[in-house]
Amino acid sequence: MQINQSHLLIDSCCMLNLCSSGQLLNILQVIPAQVAIVQEVKQELQKIENAIDFETAITEGLLLTVDFESEAEEEAFVNYAAYLDDGEAATGAIAINRGWAMATDEKKATKFFTQESSSLKIISTLDIIKYWSEVANIEQLTLNYVLNQIRVKGHYIPHRNHPLRSWWETVIDKQENQ
Amino acid sequence: MAINILENIDIKKLGELLQQARQQRGMTQEDAAKIIDASRTTMVAIEKGTRRIKPAELIKLARAYGQSLSDFVRQRPVVEPFNVQFRAMYLRNEEEEEQIKPCILRLQELCQNYLELEQIMKSPLPQNYPHQYTVTGMPIEATAEAIATQERQRLGLGDSPIGRLRDILEISVGLRIFYLKMPAKYSEIYSYNEELGGCLGINAVHPEERRRWSLAHGYLHFLAHRTKPVVDFDGQYKRMPESEQLAEAFSKYFLMPTSSLLKQFNERCQANQGGKFTPTDLFTLAHYYGVSVQAMTYRLEEMKLVPSETWNKLKDRGLKVRQVQQNLNLVELPQRSDMMPIHYQHLAIEALDQGLITEGQFAKFLNVDRLEARRIAEVLREHSSGITEEAIDFDLRLTDNNNEQVAHAN
Repeated sequence: MQINQSHLLIDSCCMLNLCSSGQLLNILQVIPAQVAIVQEVKQELQKIENAIDFETAITEGLLLTVDFESEAEEEAFVNYAAYLDDGEAATGAIAINRGWAMATDEKKATKFFTQESSSLKIISTLDIIKYWSEVANIEQLTLNYVLNQIRVKGHYIPHRNHPLRSWWETVIDKQENQ
Repeated sequence: MAINILENIDIKKLGELLQQARQQRGMTQEDAAKIIDASRTTMVAIEKGTRRIKPAELIKLARAYGQSLSDFVRQRPVVEPFNVQFRAMYLRNEEEEEQIKPCILRLQELCQNYLELEQIMKSPLPQNYPHQYTVTGMPIEATAEAIATQERQRLGLGDSPIGRLRDILEISVGLRIFYLKMPAKYSEIYSYNEELGGCLGINAVHPEERRRWSLAHGYLHFLAHRTKPVVDFDGQYKRMPESEQLAEAFSKYFLMPTSSLLKQFNERCQANQGGKFTPTDLFTLAHYYGVSVQAMTYRLEEMKLVPSETWNKLKDRGLKVRQVQQNLNLVELPQRSDMMPIHYQHLAIEALDQGLITEGQFAKFLNVDRLEARRIAEVLREHSSGITEEAIDFDLRLTDNNNEQVAHAN
């Protein structure tokens, strides 16, 4: 996972996965960019039980909360909200306008923003987890546990065509075969 | 590139939506104007659709109204507002309007979502509507029983107890049925219009026996007074109108058909020493037909199978229905208490898996948070074909290709 952008904007579904991992703070620390969420994502996560770590991440400065700063961002948000949910639309609007990277696991949002901006860098939960495991030298057993936490607590399973699906299966299988 | 929505949107419609949202929030035009640093006249013009709203203003208003921005700008099917239909009813009592109006608006929102999902999936709800029954000037009891018998026949129910009444009315008839939390005295909301067809809101907090009664009651409104909106609640009438008398009579014949009930009653008496019919039999029979003990007792009184005033005598003796039901180990009636119809849920999961709606939109359609939405999605997928994601969008009738396609899907 390579991020050349100054900021990484994470949307609700990806943030929920990272919160479910139980390792949110450790993961955010290794990401080579300032991580942020938009107001809409923050409000959504505040209503979800078990998604509490992100508040600590904000307090500790590992996670920024950002809002619209220009008419272009506001206009893009309104236009995108016609097709997507508010959190997804706001995340894409700010990421595209500021040239930031974006993290999402959302199929429709990924397709939409790929068409909207060829330069937008989009990464997924698995990209982030794999990167963290490599940079922080995470033991296989811990990695298994984290992915299972995301699967069970976050009810997240990567779709069949996810580029890292086979990597995910390998890690999960190892857990189940032990 | 996404188009400039606010340049292309129907601003009159958007104005109406903004006005509704403001009123639901209990804010004045003055309050709203302050939020966007404008005069009240500007706010009036925005709501009238004579002044185009700016993106920043719309974002501020959506946040102030506690609503999702996408609710204002996404393309949704337009339906006739339910509160227009119910207006005549509201005029009767302001206090009742305050209590039930949010439930009516909720039902409208959910029915609109249903239609939206159908359009997204290009899969209209199959409707198996009979012609409206003619009931004017007809004797109530005989008419109610005749309609109940015909409907049972039409739906292939024979004269057995109806197990999953909600599923039958949703799937076999094509009604839109939502279970909503309402104040306890309300039992159901019925509405009909050309775009949506028959819509029923049933009070989710009532026990299943009562919900089944409300379903049957609402179904008669659909069968006989189709276009007349109804809100039913306790103590509503000093003198019950004929339409309500008919609906009540229909419910008892539909849920407890005479022929079947008579047979069951006789079999139970024959099985007891001395041909008795005991309170245990009464409770068991009520459970068997999925009705309340009170409704069953009244029905047996009417059929002259037990003496009149039996229910009152049981009550005078201090009968505790729930306690007796527990003592008899009567298991819970089979029920599906989800807010959403099953077809609605399946449309939503298919739309999500095909990437036609986002996870956030899916959660909104199901009226839950994102985490709960994921849990529900897992359950729905487990109950589906086991074929998930991209591979589900094919025609199973094309049997020549089925094996190949299913094999490919797995």
